[in-house]
Amino acid sequence: MESRLSPPERFRPWQRLLLTVLGCATTTLLATPLLDYLDLANIVMLFLLTVLLLAVSLGRGAAVLAAVLSVLFFDLFFVPPRFSLAVANAQYLVTFFVMLVTGLLTGQLAAGLRQSAREAHMREQRTQALYEVARQLAGALGIEQVTDITRQFVQHQFNSAVTILLKESPGTAASGGTMDSLFARMAQNSGRMIRSEEFTDSGCAALYLPIQASKRNLGILELASPPLELPEEAYALLEALASLVAIALERLHYVEVAQTTQLNMVGERLRSSILSALSHDLRTPLTALVGLAESLTLTKPPLPEPALESAQAIHEQAARMASLVGNLLDMARLNAGDIRLRREWQPLEEVIGASIKLLGNALARHPVRVSLPPDLPLLEFDAVLLERVFCNLLENGAKYAAEGTPLEVDARTWPDRVEVRVRDQGPGLPSLSQAELFNMFVQGESDAGKTGTGLGLAICRAILEAHGGSIEASNRPEGGACFSFTLPRGMPPVLEEEAV
Amino acid sequence: MNKPVVLLIEDEKPIRRFVRLALEEEGCQVTEADTLASGLLEAGLRKPDLLILDLGLPDGDGVDLIRDVRGWSDVPILILSARSQENDKIEALDAGADDYLTKPFSVGELRARVRALLRRMLRSGEGVSPIIEFGQVQVDLSRRLVSRGGEAVHLTPLEYRLLATLLGHPGKVMTQRNLLRDIWGPSYVESSHYLRVYVGHLRQKLEDDPTQPRHFLTETGVGYRFQP
Repeated sequence: MESRLSPPERFRPWQRLLLTVLGCATTTLLATPLLDYLDLANIVMLFLLTVLLLAVSLGRGAAVLAAVLSVLFFDLFFVPPRFSLAVANAQYLVTFFVMLVTGLLTGQLAAGLRQSAREAHMREQRTQALYEVARQLAGALGIEQVTDITRQFVQHQFNSAVTILLKESPGTAASGGTMDSLFARMAQNSGRMIRSEEFTDSGCAALYLPIQASKRNLGILELASPPLELPEEAYALLEALASLVAIALERLHYVEVAQTTQLNMVGERLRSSILSALSHDLRTPLTALVGLAESLTLTKPPLPEPALESAQAIHEQAARMASLVGNLLDMARLNAGDIRLRREWQPLEEVIGASIKLLGNALARHPVRVSLPPDLPLLEFDAVLLERVFCNLLENGAKYAAEGTPLEVDARTWPDRVEVRVRDQGPGLPSLSQAELFNMFVQGESDAGKTGTGLGLAICRAILEAHGGSIEASNRPEGGACFSFTLPRGMPPVLEEEAV
Repeated sequence: MNKPVVLLIEDEKPIRRFVRLALEEEGCQVTEADTLASGLLEAGLRKPDLLILDLGLPDGDGVDLIRDVRGWSDVPILILSARSQENDKIEALDAGADDYLTKPFSVGELRARVRALLRRMLRSGEGVSPIIEFGQVQVDLSRRLVSRGGEAVHLTPLEYRLLATLLGHPGKVMTQRNLLRDIWGPSYVESSHYLRVYVGHLRQKLEDDPTQPRHFLTETGVGYRFQP
């Protein structure tokens, strides 16, 4: 297929020469019988017309040849003495000169006009093709389609094969040896077009164009064998193509992002509505159960001793069940994907106080000693969740430590984080690894008689990790367990001083 | 004296049953409603002394009922809600509810809250004294004087305003939003750290153990409550 970059010529160069000679000869033959009726000056006009016509139809070379031939034929066949190059009247030399100059000039002008008309036509065609490719790319639904459209366009316009090498999906970057990918990388890094022959004379004249999106480089357009001589506009055309491909790819990328976000949102909404339905359905009967059992224990006059004990046992078990379900639901919520934290800047002290108050009777036999440094900065956390952490850790301590032994809460500031410790004076932690300890459903070996689900520490870890913190456990040298967690300090907001 | 009338709006019969038992132990007369529509009707008819409302009713948003009732009555409103309903709870408190209980709650807790709300309801009719006492603290609202254990305590103007606002609603849960708007102004509604820092100041100056406060209580994720 003929490349469509330069104007299509109907004739080959030697055909054009032949046609020019024939044209001039025809004019001579036609004019010869008119010699008796026309002035020589008008015969000159006929030759000039011929030059003009040949220039318009066959181009610049033909125009020059026609001008020279016209002068020659005019001299040879019309100017007396005829059939000789000699000239009887020297005035004809002026005629020849004017004729030659006029012929050359008009021929040049006409040929130039023709050239620019053809170029304009070509440009329009290219614009049309580019417009067409833009339209097709705008409707492309996938990367394959983009590749196909580009391939067809390049094949048609440049008669060359094209490969799109994408950065993000290495699957499509199938072609190319090491040398090729070196050029591809050069184009990628420099962000401009690279011609491989500029750097090697290996004969392979591949062309690499970066596909540049607004914010990032998406990949490379590789023309395997473009025509060697490309006009300046061809490069402009290729660059326009590269940016169209970039726009199409960028659009596809954002469509994909939008779809994924939409899916995630739908999924999340579904999960959270299932969870809250489940939560409601589980809590309602439990609330009734706990409440009714407690009512039984409080009836007046009191129930007989065995019945009262049973009622108390039912109440205890129901309450245990409620806390278990609460933990399971918390864990499900925390595991159900991104936890939406309601982070606010607040003092740590407050949430510790609230946790102690919330635990109430569970801490009746364990005094809690809180010692916080006075310069403790505000921290950004979700108070409800951090309250769970403190409740779980304190409850844990109270569960294992002997009655009357204190629980200690303290904190230390580091340049980038705050470390909080919750310590007890119990028997210490079983020899489980850190990972096991914070896994779901793991409890100490001697837990037979204790209540719990083994979820507490897993919940703590999930909450702290969601805050960008961490938690670890150790045994104190003097006996007892120590849980220490960290929260990042960040940049607390400024508190405007109160004008007194 | 007549028995106080309590209107209980809750769709689960077993829950209504034990709540009614607990309320009757407290000497209340209980009226039940199982939908918001009938609840609103009963509230208008009976003029209850206390309203207990479950936020998870199937026939609509409990917050709307609170707004309706607040349009014509100051009756104390106690909310029952699940833990996952933080936002509903805050909205209900913002709309004018007084207190909340998170399911599952204990009978003892319920009775204590009901007692406190009814006591406040009864006391609101009496003449108001400008002197309020709690723990070792004495506040004279008419002279803007605060003392603890007989010694004068200096409060900044904002600290005093926060104290006066909290004292003005004993036992009631005040949401962060409301407190920030009342004391710092509408543009500070999102700057909750001001409120937290100033409550911290009040605790430092007025509580025996600021880390385990007994009067200025935190309702985590919701707001604060002043407990006399």
